[in-house]
Amino acid sequence: MSEDLHYPFPPAAAYRLNRCLYAIKSDPDFCARFLADQRAACDELSLSEAETRAFATFDRDVLVGLGGHPYLVFMADLRLRIAREPGALEYF
Amino acid sequence: MLVGAFACAHTPQLLIRPPTEDRDLVLRVHAAFARVKERLAALRPDAIAIIAGDHIEAFFLDAVPALAVYVGAEATGTFGPYRYRLPIHEPLARSILEQGIERGFDLLYTQGARLDYAFYVPLHFTMPEPAVPIVPLHVNVYLPPQPTPRRCYDWGVALGEILRARPERIALMASGGMSHFPGTDRYASPEVEHDRRLLDRLQAGHGREMSSLTGEELDKTGNVELRTWITLLGAVGDAAADVLCYEPSWHHDNAVVEWPV
Repeated sequence: MSEDLHYPFPPAAAYRLNRCLYAIKSDPDFCARFLADQRAACDELSLSEAETRAFATFDRDVLVGLGGHPYLVFMADLRLRIAREPGALEYF
Repeated sequence: MLVGAFACAHTPQLLIRPPTEDRDLVLRVHAAFARVKERLAALRPDAIAIIAGDHIEAFFLDAVPALAVYVGAEATGTFGPYRYRLPIHEPLARSILEQGIERGFDLLYTQGARLDYAFYVPLHFTMPEPAVPIVPLHVNVYLPPQPTPRRCYDWGVALGEILRARPERIALMASGGMSHFPGTDRYASPEVEHDRRLLDRLQAGHGREMSSLTGEELDKTGNVELRTWITLLGAVGDAAADVLCYEPSWHHDNAVVEWPV
């Protein structure tokens, strides 16, 4: 398999970054802590300075460039939007 | 016995609609889900075996199974404000697991893993009343290396044989697809024409062809999730598909399909 896939193998170096994305997506308590204080939440998971800075802007290209799994970046972003603007959504 | 086979889109925007989504399109997909619900009511299944790709919810990078069976008493999960708790048909789940292993498929099993929205979204809209228990069957679609389409098809062949030999009336459902590229720079350009051709082939009864796709082809066309359809196709063979809806949005090719069994 080539490395230019849309969904490439997640590099081991990005394990903590991906754990943070996963926690935002799937752990409501962590998501709340992240919304309250991003830097503290990133420190909690021992993210690097570059990773922590990438979360400040939540730039998809930067996060994926650092090894973030594209789907996790996508859904972590969506979950943060749901948490920030629940009234903007229609629930079926 | 196998009494029905369906594929359903599960994009979360069908359940929680942001302002970016065309409401009329969402409602047209819901109408197709309602037809599946009617069909399921008519088929009177004792259980629904649902094949879906976990969206890195139950299985993070700590342990990544290729194929898994949920065999607990129930499966629970959350998505946004939704809290769901679905009973599992334990004898059927155990039978699928044990006979799958006997047939050479090294299945992971879980009695407690969270249930991803990929399983929940189609069931939210299509579960007949009264509700029936489910058997969630996971196929790894998002964490490479994923099982090959050939392997998925072969597992589907075995699964079909196992289900047909069971005393219960079982509906089989594949959740996912079609083309979409969440989190990538291709997000706003799904492979609409590719998917139309693919549906044409399925309507003409050429499901088996999908087993010869490669993992790279699936990734390239935004169809990593079609592994769930390919697994189902192993069970239904070359039956001609009935496309209940095909509704491409700006980012996702939504399809709802039934196969005769």
